[in-house]
This record gives sequence, structure tokens and C-alpha cells, in this order.
Amino acid sequence: MNAHAPPARFAAAQSTNEGGMELLLWILIWSEFAVFGAFLIAFLILGLIDPPALARLHGALDLPLAGAATAVLLTSGFFAARAAFGPSPRWNLIAAALGGLGFVALKLVAYGHEIPAITAVESRLVELYFLITGFHLAHVLFVALIMLAIAWRPTPRRTGTIAAIWHAIDLVWLLILPVIYLG
Amino acid sequence: MSSLRELPLPLVLGALLLATGLGLLASMLLPQVPRGFAIAALSLIKAALLVIGFMRLQQESRALAGALIGYAAVLCVLAGLRIALAA
Repeated sequence: MNAHAPPARFAAAQSTNEGGMELLLWILIWSEFAVFGAFLIAFLILGLIDPPALARLHGALDLPLAGAATAVLLTSGFFAARAAFGPSPRWNLIAAALGGLGFVALKLVAYGHEIPAITAVESRLVELYFLITGFHLAHVLFVALIMLAIAWRPTPRRTGTIAAIWHAIDLVWLLILPVIYLG
Repeated sequence: MSSLRELPLPLVLGALLLATGLGLLASMLLPQVPRGFAIAALSLIKAALLVIGFMRLQQESRALAGALIGYAAVLCVLAGLRIALAA
């Protein structure tokens, strides 16, 4: 018997443990989708109820900067996918994290332009706008920092997990864009 | 389905950026009703590209990939309808 081979019982336990972690990951991702979905549907309903407030909110939003932030986040997702499926996971994770931090910087600049005009709009839409985009921004910042930590010692499992979460955050932004910014 | 499994990542990124640019143009240039349909369609294409191209989730679980795209489709259709109904 090979002394270095793990016992069958240990290998089975490890496989079960990884399956459990994967299940937890997807429960986390779907719970995020449920929360963001509820907020976005509330935003759509309020937009239908109060079109003048929605028009004033749209007038105050910085659409070109939102487009630039989207491009940066998608490019960052490209590097996260390369980290999960290609060579050099460390450098790709660092590039993805830097893209995330670039998104945060662009969104903060956009807030700087938008806040004076938006706060003049008296509507629940404004509160929802800051809740949805601020909550998403916190996710981007937090996961970008975790990605930098994982880049220090990447393993295929950690890289795959963080890339899946990063793509989920990308997907949420791709849904925020048509619901809040476009139209 | 095998061609979808092999989508090169730079091609996916290019398509995502193109769809984003087209979405922004549609929101600025099109009349209300076609704008709603265009934005819904482009947003759904982006969501599907991200799931199939970047996550490659369909290689592990078609059900999970389909559920994610279905979730995105519901929100994209609702957003498109809201924009179209504002006319």
C-alpha cells in the first residue's frame, strides 16, 4: 500500500466536505440574488408609481461614468475567469481585484457628481438607489480585498470559489444597469 | 453545445463590451418602446454571456446555468417592460 495515498475513508470525507462547501457557496450566491432581486423589483414598481421622480433621478445619474464602470467590472470579470480556467492565477486574481477597486473609484466619483442633484429629489427611489448601488459597491470592495488575499496563496479551489462569487457580483451589476440607469 | 463550451474568453469580453456600448446607445437614441425591448434583449445577452462564457457553469450543471439565466431573464424583461410602458 502506498504510504502517501490518503485512506479511502479520508478521501470520501474530503469529497463530501467539498460538496458541502460548494452547496454553501451556491446558497450564499442565491441568497444575494434574492436580496438584490427584491430591491430591483421594488425599484421597478416605485418607478412605475412615480414616473416624474424616476425622470428626475435619471437626469441626475452619470450614465457615461456608469458605462465606464461597467466596462471596468466586465474586464475584471475576464481576469477572474482567466484565473479560474487559465495559467497564472495569481496575476489574474490581482488584475481582477484591481479592476474591482477601479470600479469602486469610478462609482465614488459618480456619487460625488450625483449626490447634490439626487438629494434634491424627494422620493423613496433615491433611498433605493443608494441602498442598491451602495450594497453592491460594498460587495465589490469586500470581494476585491478577499481576492487580493487569495492571490497571495492561490489554490484551484479557492480561485474557483472567489471567481464564482465575482461573476455573481458582475451579474448583479448587469441587472442594476437596465433597471436603474437605462431607460 | 460543444461550441458554447469552447468560447474564448477574449471573445466573450469583446461581446460583453459591445453589448454594453449598444445598450448605452439604445438608452440615449431609441424611442421609448423599442428602447425597452433593445435594453431587455441586450441585458439578457450580457447575462447569458457571463454565465456561459465566464462562469462556464453549463459544463458542470446545465440546471444551475439555466436557473441563473432564467433569473436574469425575469429582471431584464421587467426592466424592458417598465421602460416601454413609460411611453
